[in-house]
Amino acid sequence: MGCFVRYVLPYVNYKDEIIKVTLLNIAIIILLFSSPVYAINIISNATADTSSLSVSQLRRIYSMRQVYWKNGTPIVVYVLASKSPLHQQFCKEQLRLFPYQLDRIWNKLTFSGYGVAPIEVTSESELIKAVQSTKGAIGYVENLSEAKDVNVIEVTD
Amino acid sequence: MLTSLKLLIKPFVLMQFYISVLCSFFVVFNLSAAEVKGESLQVHGFVAQGIIDANKSNFINDDESISFELTEVGINASYQINDNFRVAGQAVYLNGGNRYHPGARIDYLLLEWDAFHSEAWQASLYFGRVKNNHWLYSSTRDIPFARPSIINPQVTYFDGFRDLAVGGDGAAIKLKYSDDHLGEVDFNFSRGKSTFSDQQTRVVIGQSGGGKLEHDLDAQASIYWRPLFSQWRFGISANDASFSYSPAEVDNFFDADFIFQFYTLNAIFEGQYWQFSAELVQERLATEGFYIPGFNRDEIGQGYYLQTSYQLTKDLSVMLRNERFYANKDDKNGSKLAASSGGLIPSYFGFHNDTMIGLSYDFSSNLRLNAEYHWMEGGARLSPIVQPDPIANASKDWQVWAIQLMYWF
Repeated sequence: MGCFVRYVLPYVNYKDEIIKVTLLNIAIIILLFSSPVYAINIISNATADTSSLSVSQLRRIYSMRQVYWKNGTPIVVYVLASKSPLHQQFCKEQLRLFPYQLDRIWNKLTFSGYGVAPIEVTSESELIKAVQSTKGAIGYVENLSEAKDVNVIEVTD
Repeated sequence: MLTSLKLLIKPFVLMQFYISVLCSFFVVFNLSAAEVKGESLQVHGFVAQGIIDANKSNFINDDESISFELTEVGINASYQINDNFRVAGQAVYLNGGNRYHPGARIDYLLLEWDAFHSEAWQASLYFGRVKNNHWLYSSTRDIPFARPSIINPQVTYFDGFRDLAVGGDGAAIKLKYSDDHLGEVDFNFSRGKSTFSDQQTRVVIGQSGGGKLEHDLDAQASIYWRPLFSQWRFGISANDASFSYSPAEVDNFFDADFIFQFYTLNAIFEGQYWQFSAELVQERLATEGFYIPGFNRDEIGQGYYLQTSYQLTKDLSVMLRNERFYANKDDKNGSKLAASSGGLIPSYFGFHNDTMIGLSYDFSSNLRLNAEYHWMEGGARLSPIVQPDPIANASKDWQVWAIQLMYWF
């Protein structure tokens, strides 16, 4: 309480100061978001027939716990290399997982025989092509303008 | 049916059968990593070579010299036959020095049946040679980049029992459940029989026993739970196995039956920089016969390991681990063991402790270098386990260091 009286109250009396601080905060936020951060879009093959997925559903798909779409089509998961910046951002933002956690799940499946890992492709354009041409495929892209004839999936909370 | 068939076929014939099936599998599909892009067929593999040294112990080799016996190579393939069935197999070549017998093995070769699936449930059955999937790292104990360190925590992943614990010929069931309240729950059950080669029998029994060790069908189960969006995961496992020993015509040992039960409790935390994992272990080893006819011993051993790792930079991490194990909970310092052997077996064979530090550096998504140093104490996890070798392991304290480079695709 003492701190509040000593440090916060004086600012309340100076509206200019409050405006300055607010503007500064806005500037910082704009600066942070104007750094090269990719916008990530989830895309699927037209056969997937799904327009939105919750974060937990998307997580299940990428951790290979849900392997079929609702309409019964098998899901084919495509990814970029685990160290690629887009993959790293996809994991953290869309799945709320660290990339190493997915690596661990996939390695365990692949090298124990109990399942299969997503198919890794080397570039975004290769990933788009794979999603366009593979029945039930899902992937992620930075630039939607290059991804023609695919289904865009909205991710909800 | 499957079991009776296997009893008719000798283990080495079975091994040859597995290898030939896997070879034809590769030949039929004319595989190479670069070609594999299709969704039905996946091929992966790994190559790892290291350098290792154990001081004051025959853990790696008998002359305690610096060794290159740290080789692990493997290739696997998975083919989705249709929506319900998949076949998969992995062949490995392993050389760990004295830790287990060096050579090629069929690690797994199985048919998966996707018995049931919905958005929340996935039920799969596996038939053939299946891996032990019950402990935290049991299914990837030989996979250099998918295990915690070069030398696994011996309290759970005792190298002397590797061939027994890694999996077996039989069947496994895996039930996966996920929802937005409970999180993720996995239930695993398996029944199988491990093949004990003559070389592996020598690793466990020692050179003085010329007989045959047989593994009867064992049963294993485990449950894992990750609360929704949690960075923690918890697990529990139980294993019930029995063995028998048939002595050679001239042998230092006698007919024997062994019961081995193994229970684990584990937790793992996966944070952005910090990771943590731990396993608590309790084992029961009951021996009937073996040393002399009518001999009876029933001991409960206990142990744990705690390990933590911290991501120092994007590519470099450091790991610390502490491990404690005693073979008999009523004789933690091994004094009763020493007394009962008339002083022939030193008391430090009653326990095994390890303090470890390790570094891991990623050159790329598929190339890693691991380095580690172990301060070991005691000989309870040194082979041959049934007849300790106090001459080759004359010191309570011994050390191991290892560096290994690994590549996978």
